Amino acid sequence: MAEEKAVASEQKQMEERSLSVFASEKKEDITSLVIAFALAVLVLIALK
Amino acid sequence: MNEERKSPVTLIIGLILLAYALILRSQNESLTPTGLVAVAEYLKTGKTIGTQISVGLWSGIIISLVGIWNLAVPAMTSKFDKLVRAPMAGIGMIMILAYVTRYYMEPIFKIWGKQAQPMLGFDMASVFGLNYILLGILLGIVWVNTIGIPGWMQAGVKTARLAMKVGVITLGAMYSITELKYLGGLSIVMVATFVMGTSLFVLWLGKLAQAERPLIGVLSAGLGVCGVSAAVAAAPVVKARGVDMAYSIGMLLLVGVVGLFVFPPVAKMVGMNELQFGAWAGTGILNSAQVAAAALIFDPNTIETLKVAEIFNITRILFLPFIVIVLAVWFAKGEEEAEKGKVSIGKVLIDKFPLFVLGFLIMFAFSSTGIFTPKGMELHGKHFYKFKIDEKKEVRTRDLKKISAFLETGAVTDPKVKAALGKLVADRQITSAEQTDLVLKAQDFTKEKDLKAAFKEADKLVQAKPATMEMMREYMMWFFAFGLIGLGMQITWQTLRQAGGKAAMIGVVAGITKATLSFFVCWLLIKGSI
Repeated sequence: MAEEKAVASEQKQMEERSLSVFASEKKEDITSLVIAFALAVLVLIALK
Repeated sequence: MNEERKSPVTLIIGLILLAYALILRSQNESLTPTGLVAVAEYLKTGKTIGTQISVGLWSGIIISLVGIWNLAVPAMTSKFDKLVRAPMAGIGMIMILAYVTRYYMEPIFKIWGKQAQPMLGFDMASVFGLNYILLGILLGIVWVNTIGIPGWMQAGVKTARLAMKVGVITLGAMYSITELKYLGGLSIVMVATFVMGTSLFVLWLGKLAQAERPLIGVLSAGLGVCGVSAAVAAAPVVKARGVDMAYSIGMLLLVGVVGLFVFPPVAKMVGMNELQFGAWAGTGILNSAQVAAAALIFDPNTIETLKVAEIFNITRILFLPFIVIVLAVWFAKGEEEAEKGKVSIGKVLIDKFPLFVLGFLIMFAFSSTGIFTPKGMELHGKHFYKFKIDEKKEVRTRDLKKISAFLETGAVTDPKVKAALGKLVADRQITSAEQTDLVLKAQDFTKEKDLKAAFKEADKLVQAKPATMEMMREYMMWFFAFGLIGLGMQITWQTLRQAGGKAAMIGVVAGITKATLSFFVCWLLIKGSI
């Protein structure tokens, strides 16, 4: 039962990753953080 | 060697973006509007020309350079190649489509909506939410089901969720906890109850219907908070697929449109007053545009109902950050439990809480400190204001004379409003947040259109648009437009056919329950009038 769950979960994760260019969720999140905060800093420097 | 990555398509797309920006820039410099600038003038997108040029130039240059690089040295297997060079052609193509939705399709629908308003009695584009969010996802669906996704676009389409996440983090900058202090206790308590109640109810209902968790999560945010934009914000939190988004958005708009036409006659039938209806519409109807439209249908002559509805609506929107946290924990806990059995919330928070949601919360906290608000400006309700005495913000002498004469008639019975108008005449401009509310309230004491316009103008003159916020909003909308087109491109007719029924069922049940409960609360518990 636990093995089945693990297989299903792994399969779900693979499907999930196939929709992204990133190998893991964490890497995607960190990239999004870097882009968003870099943009915010640039906007602040340029306009404030 | 991969032939796809040697193709000139990245370069061509980069050059298209570059050419568009350069043509727009050269035409924008001429004295009379011609070509693309004339089209922008007609579509009322003239103010966006600066952004269109800068986004086009920068993205065009970057994509073209990568295109040249890809031609010279084909992208292969390194991480950089995989994450940057390979997706670039698809990113460029989606950007072109984002240009089409944001600057051409949305404005065209806006114009059509206004043109059809006298015939229909309502603004079709606003009521049916025909904006870049819906149009973007629809364009993506149509694209994938007609043209399909060629090999060179596939990696680019897979950056859609990244774009959505960047959009959500930036969205955090649009909220400020200080806004809550302007809202009344009644609206906060009522909205908190209904937002949380509906969201939790949808989570329970979804489980009962055995719907997929991403769909339940998106519907929970959409039905609980503020319709489509909340669903968009929640999408990456619950790892929603394009098809979940498509059905949720469709359902949210449909429930809202039905509410828009049902609420006003029901309220008239039971004899609700402006306060009761404003509270009901602001709590029970889902989208901001639909709330405003319902308030105006109920009470087209004064803005009182609209004001109450807007206060409730703004309060509801302010709950989005809290719902995002709840959904992040709920989703992570569910995923963890599917793998390992029962887990504690504390463990989920530490191990699985999405980092980008943390980014959203940090941005929200920064925004609450006023870091994005320029000095001398303050946020009041929906707008920023600058109350420093400035000749440019003075009300026209003609209007001041009218206001002065109006004061002498004794029509204004509220002493606070009277004092605020007296001060306006003396200072020639509004000087505080409280005064701006009172001057707007003065509209209720007259039926004269010119006077009402003068009060609105006085308010508008002291409104300010902080350039930082405007630019952040613009970037946010770009990321969402990009992400939604990409998500739309992951939806085929087959997936649409497979997944519709449960979204409809949850949407209808939750929508009716929320509307009915909030109706009885507003009708029976809110006493008094404005």
